[in-house]
Amino acid sequence: MQRSIPFEIFRYAVILGIVAVSLVPTLWMISMAFKPIAEWSAAGADLTWWPRNPTLDNFRFIFGQSSTDLIVALERTAGRPIFASLLTATCGTLIAMTAGTSAAYGLSRFGQGGNLPLALIQLRLFPPMAVMIPVMIMWSFLGLIDNWFGLSLIYGIVTLPFAFWLMKTFFDDMPREIEDAALVEGCTRWRVFVRITLPMMRPALASSALFVFILNWSDYLIALLLTTRDWATIPVYMASLSSSMTGQLYGAKAALGVIAAVPPIIMGIAIQKHLVRGLTFGALKE
Amino acid sequence: MTNVSAMAPAVEKIDAPATQSARLGLWLTLPAQLLVLFIALFPILMQVYISLTDWSPLDGIPWWKAHELWIGLLNYADLMADNRFWGALWRTMFVMAICVPVQFLLGLGLAVLFVDDFRGKRVLYSTLLVPMMVVPAVAGYMFFMLFQSGGPVNDLLSFFTSDPVRIAWLSDPDLALIAVMIADIWQWTPLMFLILLAGMISVPQDQQMAAILLGASWWRRFFTIVLPRMKSIIIIALAIRVIEIFKIFDTLFIMTGGGPGVATETISVYIYKVTQQELIWSYVAAIALAILIVLSVVSVFAIKRMQRGQKP
Amino acid sequence: MPIQSKLSRRSFLASSSGAAALAVATPLYLRPDRARAASGLADGMIGGPTGFDGAERYQYGADTPEGRAIEAVRSMKDAGSAPERIVLGLSDGSIGQITQPFPAGAPSIKELWEQETGITLDIVGVPNGQEFTKVMQDISTKGGGFDIYAVEWNRLGDLAESGGIVNLDEYVETHKPEWEAPERGYVGGEQGVSLLNGYRGSTYGVCLDGDFQTWNHRTDLFGDAAEQAAFADKHGYALAPPKTWKEHDEIAAFFHRPDDGLIGCSDLRNQGWGYTNWYQRYVTMASPNQFLFADDGTALINSEQGVLATEEYVASLSHHSADAISWGWPEQYGNFATGGAAMTCAFSNLPKFLDNPANDGSSVTGKVGSHLPPGRDHADGRISRTVLWFNLSASVSTQSEHPELCYLFLQWLGSSRIYSWMTANPGGFFDPFQLANFADPLVRETYHDYHMDIVRESVRRTVPTINYPGATAFHNALDENLTAALTGSMSAADAMANTERQWKRIARRVGEDKLVEAVRANKAAWPDLVDPV
Repeated sequence: MQRSIPFEIFRYAVILGIVAVSLVPTLWMISMAFKPIAEWSAAGADLTWWPRNPTLDNFRFIFGQSSTDLIVALERTAGRPIFASLLTATCGTLIAMTAGTSAAYGLSRFGQGGNLPLALIQLRLFPPMAVMIPVMIMWSFLGLIDNWFGLSLIYGIVTLPFAFWLMKTFFDDMPREIEDAALVEGCTRWRVFVRITLPMMRPALASSALFVFILNWSDYLIALLLTTRDWATIPVYMASLSSSMTGQLYGAKAALGVIAAVPPIIMGIAIQKHLVRGLTFGALKE
Repeated sequence: MTNVSAMAPAVEKIDAPATQSARLGLWLTLPAQLLVLFIALFPILMQVYISLTDWSPLDGIPWWKAHELWIGLLNYADLMADNRFWGALWRTMFVMAICVPVQFLLGLGLAVLFVDDFRGKRVLYSTLLVPMMVVPAVAGYMFFMLFQSGGPVNDLLSFFTSDPVRIAWLSDPDLALIAVMIADIWQWTPLMFLILLAGMISVPQDQQMAAILLGASWWRRFFTIVLPRMKSIIIIALAIRVIEIFKIFDTLFIMTGGGPGVATETISVYIYKVTQQELIWSYVAAIALAILIVLSVVSVFAIKRMQRGQKP
Repeated sequence: MPIQSKLSRRSFLASSSGAAALAVATPLYLRPDRARAASGLADGMIGGPTGFDGAERYQYGADTPEGRAIEAVRSMKDAGSAPERIVLGLSDGSIGQITQPFPAGAPSIKELWEQETGITLDIVGVPNGQEFTKVMQDISTKGGGFDIYAVEWNRLGDLAESGGIVNLDEYVETHKPEWEAPERGYVGGEQGVSLLNGYRGSTYGVCLDGDFQTWNHRTDLFGDAAEQAAFADKHGYALAPPKTWKEHDEIAAFFHRPDDGLIGCSDLRNQGWGYTNWYQRYVTMASPNQFLFADDGTALINSEQGVLATEEYVASLSHHSADAISWGWPEQYGNFATGGAAMTCAFSNLPKFLDNPANDGSSVTGKVGSHLPPGRDHADGRISRTVLWFNLSASVSTQSEHPELCYLFLQWLGSSRIYSWMTANPGGFFDPFQLANFADPLVRETYHDYHMDIVRESVRRTVPTINYPGATAFHNALDENLTAALTGSMSAADAMANTERQWKRIARRVGEDKLVEAVRANKAAWPDLVDPV
């Protein structure tokens, strides 16, 4: 479509303006991650926008190799929480996607589980904080407190609605002709689902899984209440990054924040093509 | 067009044995059903039980013996008169009423600008999605710093004024609420943009071309062809944000802890405080059930509406 | 508390039999006192740190609380009734004092304990500020994740009522911790012990902290000739650390130069901390103290004194950071370290961390001074008060299978020799509170001479905060209304009236009889010191 020159100028101006504003917090985080302590202050008269003496100390510090001994030494390094976050977010995503995809297919094709759409909407709408008391009691009874499986399980449950709804949209919009043809050729229903439908749904699966993963990866509240030591996740661990020498260890927090942004970004890039296609699957019937 | 909210079970047209299909359908939905049952059954029963008592973990008796402190519906009566609860609910709704439309309009506007090709589109597109990838807890700490009175936000604003700006965002009840809303808008507009752009790209070009040939203005085409075609994707995008903002906690809690006073106390923050600090767990149960009932009514109504809207 | 003693007894019995079975598999261990006899312990000492100058001050003989604790643990070990390890839940910021060796050449406290007893000390970090949450979770879900909890002192009442912590009376009786010892023990003797460790007449905790809020100022600013001249010009008296609230407010206003990155005073004003300043202003409104509750449990805050203190408190916000209401102690410490405030009121460890040559991040090293809390003049003299707030106490979980052994560990750790050694260690938040700590050269070196005497004198002027059941609810109600007053959304009078109303409701919930008893017990710990004007 042809657009006029003024429109192009307008477009770039608006987009660049919004991009600039939206980058401020992210850039602040990145800049903070490379600042030495003397430049952290956001309250003093001399505000530092960009590190004058860039350093990798913050990254070294959270992995237990501080080059300066002025900060109270860390009892726990960031390695374990990063691993805990990766493992529980991934397993939670697997649980949600497995249960969600199969249930979505079951409802979309066979009309089973008509109660699920409503039940799952309610599940997602409900503030997790309001059920944490019984959940804590249940998890404790089942020995799932501070345990990777316990955290993965609750992640799988709270993101199940997302997986289900997204996948149901895709199944509803998927053309049935191919499935029908395979059935005519004598395949069983199960075989059709596993061998034909799922492979065709790869873009949808990828984009849904990314969303679910980001939701699990972002969680603070649930992990705060269901972990104590071994399986504390990144956001929970981050709360402990403060010391009486310097106050909040903003640099260390920012460094951890930069690291924490890496997995979603890598996943996002890896499935970038699928992402757009996935979201518009129904409409992009080629 | 995505047909997300079609509630009516798709009609089984294929002539495979119906029982085989039904059985497979049952098996496929079983894991989700079990998970829902697992997370709903015990918590609901337990909350109903303790909400009728005056039990707190400080009473020194286990929860299953809470009936020793039976008080009937008193907790619910307290709830009706609890200004803090209603204040928190109102505040949550207010945040929702501001943030969702702003995110929607920003997202839609950006989607319009991104719908056709231009130089640098891919890079700009990816850059816009970055805020979504920042863990909300980290965003909370960063925004806490950004909004300090000598912090970056005021430093930027000082650019436009003669005197240095020294607004104490997080110490003022009204400004603190604005600050947490800005943080939410920053973090979640990209999601809105992503979904809406995807929906907009998927609107078929043929009708638009025809309209162009007929000389319809851009505005007209947008409102009569593009937007109606995007209806269900818009509903999804709005629904996702409405649902998530209702539970808003992480970033906000780290930025302000619900303060100053109760100025940014939302439903989740209020429940967190009663649970963790005041420890009146029977009362929390009553709050939870009240919310559950209201949400059930709302979601049944919403699903009915969507079903009606979807019927051809 | 019948439930509690039953519980602890039951778990104790279960633990002895369980551990007896375990002991068969435990190899005999070398008695460390014999093994280390030649390696630096002074004559007659049976244990303690070695390897640095002055180590003998922290060594102990058989007839000391530490010695008795270690001996008792060893005999439990020999009898096969001791566990392999005990789990201590502790704020992240305090762990360093137990795990980092100090001073050079010394073992860490953890190493020493493990060497002397053969029992592993497992420390589970809890994010600062999350202590009570985690403990309550463990108690209410029967999680059993910890043997020992370390929580804020004023939660002892709540925890004791919940049945989650062990009544330690029996063990105190048997093992004699000597907390009230006149030269070495708690300030205030028996009264201090009952304040810090007791609840309704029984021992439920072992104090591991000294969070008496103390006042600091910048000696470089107060000593500057130009500043002194300008101040004397303006106010007609010499610039010196303030002795009264009036002076305090004037000096703070004098130094308040936000555009140059300097604020007058940075005492905390956020929720959860801010009212410690209000308290100090409020309790000095009468001589010897303006109490929070009357003996019959009536709240006294909705009074002329309460409103006056609140108005003063709100007005003093003008010489504060504009962000004061959102700042917690991490921001306060960070700001003071960069030279951002002329005065502050903080934990007693502020000079230890910020006036510290090892702290490259601090620009106030060598420029910190301490002073007594500001006071108010009454007919019989000057009343100056500060407040005990936060302060970690350790308690034994009723879910522990070895409550007595856990208590023995706490007796060992919390008695004056080991505690002095620990509190001198700059690696964490545990602060001095015993007479022996204040006199110890190593502690004085870490905390600085100028500060230590001020802290000891501040302790004598310290009032307790609310430590009865419902403490959090009482504090929260006060807190919210004070914040409302600070932000201008409520008048001082309304804030006090509102607080009184909410307190009445909370009192009903807690039970008025229980409250009256606790109020009286708490009141006994308030100081009656009057200073000459």
